[in-house]
Amino acid sequence: MPANAALPALTPALEDYLESVFRLVTEHGFARVRDIAEARGVKPGSVSPAMRRLEEAGLIRYERREYVALTDTGAAAARRIYSRHRVLRRFFGTFLGLPPEIAEADACVAEHSLSAATLDRLVRLFEYMEVCPDGRDHLRHFHQCSRVQEGADHCPHHCPALHGLGERNTVMSVADLRPGQKGRVRQIEGQGAIRQRLLDMGILPDTTIELARIAPTGDPMWIRLQGFELALRKNEAAAVLIEAL
Amino acid sequence: MKKNLQHPPLSVLRPLRVLLAGNPNSGKTSLFNALTGARQKVGNYPGVTVERREGRWRIPGQDVLVRDLPGTYSLTAYSPEERIAQDELTHGDHDVVVVVADATVLRRSLMFLLQVMQLGANTVLCLNMSDEAHKAGQVVDTLWLGELLGIPVVETAAARGQGLDDLKAAVLSAATRTGPGVSAEVAAALGGITQPTAGGEASVERMRRLAAAADLLLARVLVAAPRPNARRLTTRIDAVLAHRLLGLPLFLLVMYGVFWVTFTLGAAPMDWIDAAVGGLGSLVTAHWPGSPDSALLSLLVDGIIAGVGGVVIFLPNIVLLFLCLSLLEDTGYLARAAYLTDRVLSRVGLHGKSFLPLVTGFGCSIPGIMATRTIESERDRLATMMVLPLMSCGARLPIWLLIIPAVFPAAWRTTAMWSVYVFGIVLALGLALVLRGTILKGDATPFVLELPPYRLPTLRDVLGRMADRSLVYLRKAGTVILAISIVLWALSTYPRKEHFDVDDALAGGAVFTEQEIVARQAAESLAYSVAGRIGRALEPVFSPLGYDWRIVTASLGAFAAKEVFVSQMSIVYALGDDADPGDVGERLRADYSPLVGVSLIIFLLVGTPCMATVAVTRRESGSWRWAWLQFGGLTALAWVLAAAVYNLGRLVA
Repeated sequence: MPANAALPALTPALEDYLESVFRLVTEHGFARVRDIAEARGVKPGSVSPAMRRLEEAGLIRYERREYVALTDTGAAAARRIYSRHRVLRRFFGTFLGLPPEIAEADACVAEHSLSAATLDRLVRLFEYMEVCPDGRDHLRHFHQCSRVQEGADHCPHHCPALHGLGERNTVMSVADLRPGQKGRVRQIEGQGAIRQRLLDMGILPDTTIELARIAPTGDPMWIRLQGFELALRKNEAAAVLIEAL
Repeated sequence: MKKNLQHPPLSVLRPLRVLLAGNPNSGKTSLFNALTGARQKVGNYPGVTVERREGRWRIPGQDVLVRDLPGTYSLTAYSPEERIAQDELTHGDHDVVVVVADATVLRRSLMFLLQVMQLGANTVLCLNMSDEAHKAGQVVDTLWLGELLGIPVVETAAARGQGLDDLKAAVLSAATRTGPGVSAEVAAALGGITQPTAGGEASVERMRRLAAAADLLLARVLVAAPRPNARRLTTRIDAVLAHRLLGLPLFLLVMYGVFWVTFTLGAAPMDWIDAAVGGLGSLVTAHWPGSPDSALLSLLVDGIIAGVGGVVIFLPNIVLLFLCLSLLEDTGYLARAAYLTDRVLSRVGLHGKSFLPLVTGFGCSIPGIMATRTIESERDRLATMMVLPLMSCGARLPIWLLIIPAVFPAAWRTTAMWSVYVFGIVLALGLALVLRGTILKGDATPFVLELPPYRLPTLRDVLGRMADRSLVYLRKAGTVILAISIVLWALSTYPRKEHFDVDDALAGGAVFTEQEIVARQAAESLAYSVAGRIGRALEPVFSPLGYDWRIVTASLGAFAAKEVFVSQMSIVYALGDDADPGDVGERLRADYSPLVGVSLIIFLLVGTPCMATVAVTRRESGSWRWAWLQFGGLTALAWVLAAAVYNLGRLVA
């Protein structure tokens, strides 16, 4: 972006002022100093110095007393700032699922500190999540996952990411084993009775488990560990995360 | 271990109290049987339906009371069994806890032991099934293990009666001496973990420490580890019995075998009991000192002897069914059966463990409902209990044998009989699904089932288990069914009819044989009695099903005990209560359309579970609410189904 060069000169406060002017102009066709002051929540007296700076940078001009308009450069810069703000707000709101107030507040802070390149990628990610059918699924799963982490209903998927295990490609659950295949236990998921039962049976981290056989219908599964054998449903087996051996 | 400090010296006045605790399949009950022989008492823990087994262990000079705790894997109290075990271990009034461990699963057993030891009792570790462990090549330095744990450790093989003297010595020594506690090394591995509070969330950290301590112990005392292929024979058998494709057909074959044994071998002793009951009735009548019309005699013969006898007659079936099931259970096959059937049962919201109770229900609903105790989840247990009466029990067989030949042509009868059973099963599964989706809604419960190695059962254990369960059945016959028989007798006897129509007819010149007169009087009496009146009063309710008052009256009898339907039908038809079912069938065929027969089969299969079933459901579910829901719900469903079949059938015909 060629106009990018003008922006680093602006402080976050000036960017906010420019954005406010842009929004007022877009909405009402004009921006008065006291409207700007109201939008930014400051006294009209504080607005004048900021406007003077913006005028010096060639981004705005005074049409009349009190009435401010954007120059072409200013409009371009403001549009870019505003779209950044909007993207971020939507990112925090729709994407991350944060409440509107937090999304708005965080967008105001983040828009000044992110580089254009990062912002560009965020926009792309956002578009992917909203447009691509896979992306929409991912977004849905992500929201579900967040709710699970906040203590809501159980997640049907079992991902190591939740627990900071990281190595996605090597971690799977007992339910993914093939008959005769072995795995080493990494983590026990699930809650309450299921978890308790699994732990009581000696299914602990670092235990080696072999899948002996699967019932004709794929469920339950029959496992061997430490000299004894257990049958457990696929549901339970999926709660035992392992590293394939 | 503060408990020990207050421990009184051994006394001959106060029996020594010993608890047996351990994992399921550790041979705990086998050890209990070996210690106590026949000197045991099976009861219930108050308020819950967990079996409490107590017995006396004869040690010269010392009276020992042994209590067998329910088998548990931990003390975290998720199932009723675990709660009981934990309560007993924590608050029980006992002197010594013997932890019975399967020597072939040492690590898990030691983890359990360490948890029990934390409760602070005087503990003895009993490495049971040591013969199996030795055969697998495992050698454990028990002395060293005892030193590290600070408790006596003995090896036993309860099924062969080995090591019981060592156990005796260990228990007596533990009762008098306070152990030194676990060695510093083990204590360090445990790292000061404590017993979790009841229902507390499982902690990986805690289990890890227990496992670390167990591993440390094993590293010290395991002189020779078991060969890796120790379970080879079991694995080979499972390769066939739990085979992906062969497993289920073989299972069905085994079940077929069980039923063949139950019903074919049971037939002869049933005839003997039938004859004996009949003989007893005649004997009492013949030697009755008073008038043959005495109400007391009638109560005794027609009410009590016939009523209780009608239930006792199924004892051979029950005993044989339980013998087979005990055998299957002790060999380890039942666990495989649960594995094979869990998928089907879990689809309808039941549990692999629901399978055994449901199958038992083909013999009799009462032991079936009692067998639901092994199901951990209350919801699964209730759902299983509710639908269990749909399994066509042995008492309903005489009804089918009466109605089916009367309704279906010879070529269809086998299929019809088979269909009745299948219809019951399908309806039970469907109803379970509905229940689990509505009033018993809830998450699927965990199904984590141990598959023990195949073992040769001991005669003592199998017979013991069979006797326990059969006795419960007999006790029912002696109490609930006795009471119901008396009530039913009164209903169908009073008010007594003094003046019979048949006498008028005789006076009017009609000619009857003596037998006909008696039979007609019986029929008139029944029609005149409360039962007959109820039958008439309820006739409008049942006319949409195609029934008249006779069938309704006989069905009232079926509520007492299903097979009573048959004898009541012969009475209402004035055929005498010893009538050949063929004759009753003739009357059925003459009076009712085949459609009524089908409607009747459905109603008697689905509806009005017998009174004993309702009573036992009340006891096992802990509330009348479930018992009446079972009775009312099934009867309403039966009415709707029978009415639908009858009326749709009439439209089509």
